[in-house]
Amino acid sequence: MAEILTIAQAARLLDGRKLSPVELANSHLERIRRLDPQLHAFLLVTEERALTDAKAAEARQMAGARRGPLDGIPIAHKDIYNTAGIRTTAHSRLLEHNVPTRDAYTVAKWADAGTVMLGKLATHEFAFGGPSFDVPWPPARNPWNTDHFTAGSSSGTGAAVAAGLVLGGTGSDTGGSIRGPAALCGIAGIKPTYGLASRSGILPLAFSLDHPGPMAWTAEDCALLLQAMVGHDTEDPASVDRPVADFTAGLGHGVKGLRIGVVRHFFETDHPASAATRAGIDAALDFFRKEGAEVREVALSPAADYHAVGYLLMVTEAFTLHAPWMRDRFMDYGELFRDRVALAATVSGPDIIQATRRRRLLCAEMTAAMADLDILVSASQQGEAPRIDSVPKWANMEKPSFTMPFNVTGFPAISICTGFGEGGLPVAMQLAGKPFTEPTLFRAAHAYETAMPWRKRRPALVG
Amino acid sequence: MSRATIDEQELGQMLERAGLALTPEQVRAVMPGAEIFRRMIERVNAPLPREAEPALTFSAEQD
Repeated sequence: MAEILTIAQAARLLDGRKLSPVELANSHLERIRRLDPQLHAFLLVTEERALTDAKAAEARQMAGARRGPLDGIPIAHKDIYNTAGIRTTAHSRLLEHNVPTRDAYTVAKWADAGTVMLGKLATHEFAFGGPSFDVPWPPARNPWNTDHFTAGSSSGTGAAVAAGLVLGGTGSDTGGSIRGPAALCGIAGIKPTYGLASRSGILPLAFSLDHPGPMAWTAEDCALLLQAMVGHDTEDPASVDRPVADFTAGLGHGVKGLRIGVVRHFFETDHPASAATRAGIDAALDFFRKEGAEVREVALSPAADYHAVGYLLMVTEAFTLHAPWMRDRFMDYGELFRDRVALAATVSGPDIIQATRRRRLLCAEMTAAMADLDILVSASQQGEAPRIDSVPKWANMEKPSFTMPFNVTGFPAISICTGFGEGGLPVAMQLAGKPFTEPTLFRAAHAYETAMPWRKRRPALVG
Repeated sequence: MSRATIDEQELGQMLERAGLALTPEQVRAVMPGAEIFRRMIERVNAPLPREAEPALTFSAEQD
């Protein structure tokens, strides 16, 4: 089996005509055929479309007209991203035969960049509520150990990237659905600033918390993917109209001079993380210090405060969207989705107003805490992936999430791998920044990844 | 009754008011989550200073 490339590596080879887009697509299609029966990362493989895209990319390559670093790169989309003429199900019986007529804004952007679309990836039902075994397709499995969970909801993207089925893919993050699977599958995933990437054409879960974003093997690859994903979209009222930064501008510049805060209480007292997770974060902080960054501790409100606000708004917004089907087709949803979203029935009007007031205070708190900081460090997940058959039904409510604070505030945050735990599965940390400072997050994440050995190790099943 | 607690009867009534006519068994399936969720609602409703207002704003100049 050929080495799995990163997007940056593949782009250099494609530029130099040392790699054929068609051969690259075929090698990934072969890997999908070999591994996906164990992983269930794909809900649909679009082989014909992939080869059409790859041939077009090859024609541009031979004509010296490559569109950029993503031209010819094999990707796939989470199955809540609308794809024109291609089934988009949200991993739900309710949309089992749904075929959109238009691409999502972000899908069209990646297609314009020359990506080669290999198919549609597993999610949790409507991006909320897995792992479910009572929906039409099985949940994705973790490539590091297929008895284990991927986290979610961008579960198929996490599994597919880690196993090298694709070089990058789309995710969406309402409470951690990019950063969670990125962490448990040992890859990189960024939730950009709210409004940076358009939500139009993506099946929503909760409008005020939903963030589209990319997932890939490295932070550098995420930067390349995000670059081609963003831009002002008049069809998304939250889409920002501002110049787009160069997300790769800081790569290779190290971390000297960066001011880094550590929200230690999140992962030591609010929701104690595993020893391996904490050791990974401490080692990363040592690295940042050694490389010239200033590191100090920061205290915020308890993670449970952020979690309560985010969860209440998420469930209520989701119910608002799903109410007609929840009333008429309750049992067509999987148990996890329907029972979680039904909780919105217990929320009053004043509860929502109080959550909104508190959200504003939490945003102000985080803004103040970051006034003289560039990055906040915390955990992404508590530890290694649990077994997929032992995830409690209410798991995402019982303990406060490390990722939800940045959905509540809309600040950007990236998860990157910091090593492996006792079970041999990945652990991770989360770097968050001020709004629209994605280049700084990529800069720090890239510095860490290139100095550490973790990007050299792939799941054993890849071969 | 404290807002931090909820029983099956109350939950069933709330679900019904929201238009969800669930069977007793379906209500029971939601119940453990409702108890956890109640604690979240309680946390969100901890007293706030008046200066936390306004809760919601809008712009009259919509683009």
